[in-house]
Amino acid sequence: MQCPESLRVQAEFDGELDAVGAADVERHREHCAECRALHRDLAELHDALRRDLPFERAPSALQHRVMAALDDEDARTPAPKRATAWRTRPFWIGLTSGIGTAAVAATLALSLFVTPAATDATVNELLSGHVNSLLSNHLIDVASSDHHTVKPWFAGNTDVSPPVADFAAQGYSLVGGRVAYVDHQRAAVVVYRHGAHVINVFTWASAGKALPRTLTRDGYHLSFWTSGDLQYCAVSDTGWDELRSLVTLLQNLDARSHDAGAS
Amino acid sequence: MLPHLDAAYRFARWLARSPDDAQDIVQDAVLRAYRGYDALRGSDAKSWLLTIVRNCHSTSLKQQRRRAAAPLPDDHEAQEGFIAMASAPDPETASIDRDERRTLQRLMANLPDDYREVLVLREIEDMNYRDIAALTNVPVGTVMSRLARARAALKKHWLRDIEENSRAVP
Repeated sequence: MQCPESLRVQAEFDGELDAVGAADVERHREHCAECRALHRDLAELHDALRRDLPFERAPSALQHRVMAALDDEDARTPAPKRATAWRTRPFWIGLTSGIGTAAVAATLALSLFVTPAATDATVNELLSGHVNSLLSNHLIDVASSDHHTVKPWFAGNTDVSPPVADFAAQGYSLVGGRVAYVDHQRAAVVVYRHGAHVINVFTWASAGKALPRTLTRDGYHLSFWTSGDLQYCAVSDTGWDELRSLVTLLQNLDARSHDAGAS
Repeated sequence: MLPHLDAAYRFARWLARSPDDAQDIVQDAVLRAYRGYDALRGSDAKSWLLTIVRNCHSTSLKQQRRRAAAPLPDDHEAQEGFIAMASAPDPETASIDRDERRTLQRLMANLPDDYREVLVLREIEDMNYRDIAALTNVPVGTVMSRLARARAALKKHWLRDIEENSRAVP
């Protein structure tokens, strides 16, 4: 006959219980010999498995193979896969059929009469997104200097998939990526480091909102541009020239991938 | 370097018949992840990648079975592969403690597939119940009971093995 608490003893051992639950189970073990034995068994088996089973690493041949395959993949389909799943067909079909039409009209009306207040809200979101990332040490959600890592991560976590590359040779090293909430969307943030400065590059689906090309607020420079249906903004406290160089690199990268995709 | 490649390879090694098959599966899985066919949702990147590895493995099993004239049952294939892995020579391991070290590996290989899988994910890859449930496509309650049964089974085989050895070597 097995003690009905045995699954909870196991869950406690596996770290699945909160502090209260864990204390509860520990008390139970004090007067249940069966569960004390079970706990001992769990620990013994765990130690033995960790000690005796092979803890293999991916062979370096495999690493090279995988990297080569990814580069191949890039060469074959260079156009950045816009996660244009971004409310594409289903969303628009849903809107234009029947009652949705009114909503489309409303959206259009909104985007036609862009108020300075709306622009301001976006600028504030970008600026506080940048400053908060520096303050709270929440600079990156995915840390990697490898665009093979950062790019697919965005595909799953944000509404857009921006071009990502490491420009370390040009002085802009890729640090990683993050999600930010901009303009009611999960925007992708690609984080670069340039000397002592951090540059956040935000990407979100453009809503046709009129945004300035450049803007300086609280000592931070913001540079805006659009490409296709995507809106970009680079934010940093670097000088204008440094910021502009990165923007140019990104625009060239984007143009290259478009050309290659069209051919 | 790509994160979680080691974990993906280890997991594939426990699933696949040979190291070569494991490498093929991992390469497939990383490409699928990269192409975004399987977008990362909610949970963390490691269990996401392992899920894709698992799917790639079952796809390649199906293909092998279609090609094979006389298909082998699932668990037989996996076990065969693992026994081969368990007995493959390993220069890093001193011959003296080889048998001892290999015991658990051999016993693991002889467990049913779902027991072995849940043990590897929990004990080796340190995944929590929720992620294991999502990865193996079963409710958390099933993960808990399966894990309990898998541990009990392994423990039983282990004790029996120790007993037999102590009888064999007086």
